[in-house]
Amino acid sequence: MTTVSAYESNEHSSISMYFQIDDGWKLRTGKGVSVAVIDSGIDTSHTDLQGKVKESVEAGADNKRVVFDKSDTGDSAGHGTACAGIISRIAPDAEFYSIKVLGAGGLGDGIAFLAGLEYAIKQRYQIINLSLGTTKPQFFAPLHDLLDRAYQSGCIVVAAANNLPQPSFPSVFSSSLISVSKHEDADPFNFGFRYGEVIELTAPGVNIHTAWLNNSYKSLTGNSFACPHIVGIIALLLEKYPELTPFQVKSALYAIAQENLDKNKVKTADQSNPSE
Amino acid sequence: MSDDEIKNLEIKLRSIVETIDVANALTAPLTLSIENLLRISAAEINSEEASVIVRDGDAGDLRFMSAVGKVAEHLKTLKIPSGKGIAGFVFSSGQPMAITDVGAENTFYAEVDKQTGYSTQTILATPLRHDGEIIGVLEYINRIGEPPFEPFTSAEMDKVALFAEAIASLVNAYESAKLFRDLGDKMLSADEKLKLEEMREWIKNLRETNEHKEMIDLALIVRELAGRGDAERQMCKGILESVLQYSDTKTETSFLSL
Repeated sequence: MTTVSAYESNEHSSISMYFQIDDGWKLRTGKGVSVAVIDSGIDTSHTDLQGKVKESVEAGADNKRVVFDKSDTGDSAGHGTACAGIISRIAPDAEFYSIKVLGAGGLGDGIAFLAGLEYAIKQRYQIINLSLGTTKPQFFAPLHDLLDRAYQSGCIVVAAANNLPQPSFPSVFSSSLISVSKHEDADPFNFGFRYGEVIELTAPGVNIHTAWLNNSYKSLTGNSFACPHIVGIIALLLEKYPELTPFQVKSALYAIAQENLDKNKVKTADQSNPSE
Repeated sequence: MSDDEIKNLEIKLRSIVETIDVANALTAPLTLSIENLLRISAAEINSEEASVIVRDGDAGDLRFMSAVGKVAEHLKTLKIPSGKGIAGFVFSSGQPMAITDVGAENTFYAEVDKQTGYSTQTILATPLRHDGEIIGVLEYINRIGEPPFEPFTSAEMDKVALFAEAIASLVNAYESAKLFRDLGDKMLSADEKLKLEEMREWIKNLRETNEHKEMIDLALIVRELAGRGDAERQMCKGILESVLQYSDTKTETSFLSL
């Protein structure tokens, strides 16, 4: 059982219970939870993903507007398939929706990316995986607006940080989305939360063995691959507690990460004092 | 062509040639600096091949602008079609990534390996950004030594991001200078009213004038000073701005006659 607190406890204040979640969520499979992957497409024929992708759309230009049509072009780079593969390993029964914005011909990267996010919010997908970002200042305001709309619509947007010196959007918008960077530990349930940091969550993102093009597998490193781990975790949580709001999901992740931290401390202490 | 038209054209051409030569004088060391940084960064992360990949044309294709390593010269002749390979993805997504087991069949890298005779096994690629725009990709391939190679680590990815920031500034300066040169070449070749041989002779003469040589010398002195540190740079800027200001107030009097 995890108690999600209303506020941080310290020597001056006591814990006020917000809500409780039991550990049963860890046994769920993400059944019926809709997950949008805004990326380079998904290879629907990959063994790990067969039958799991409910719809694939692709960005296209129509008289200066971005439109989304059904797509059968699969994945142009492998990245979207890799992200979906990671989510699927944690939440094998989640429903995938591929929104292809990379490799879609003739469109500027940021424009298609924004349109893809807007499309996903309109479709009200429960979780949106954004293993992409932009540092272009002109996209700051429109992305901020879209993220607020997602928050108000109950869509949980999870974005990968970039590991470059410049901030990237939307991962630095900490209020209305969940942002993730990589850590070395491989256990998807042992994710971390860095309260007060711009990028709050950490999840596995180093040497992740996952699906790739041509029904193959690759070992990948990057924040891109930490993001889908958290998406998978949220899919399990939402199957068990479908009524959770984005704020409650973030609070729950924080509480679970605190428990992980405590467990890791005990584990480290046990390893350094084996005789005790 | 009237005398006035010829005079106007000469002024325009003079300006183009001066711009091209100053740009060349200032940016020639850039390619060397980029290669040096590539070598240093590759050694830092124990990588065998390092390259800078930039946009090639408007269709989203990429080309190798600079490379160091065993197959560097061959790489510089290659182009990467839009969206292909890890570099193509990193360029369009802005997300750094590392990947192992790259050279499997039917991939872009398998094709490149066929041409170079190289065996690409592990890659680390990170975007080069300038003013929020992605202007290229910094890519490292394989480790020094014999395969199988250890995958690139998370710490190495973070380290390379710092090199990327410095390299991006140099690449941006180089690409800007190249644009100048290309534009100048286009303008020169577009004018059909002057015979090409005559124009070449005219440009040759212009470049031999003392005025032109002095301008290039001045540019080189500024570059030399700028590289010596903040204090020198600030002082040089202050002096040159004062000279400009003073010159503005003395428009009708020769500077030297004062």
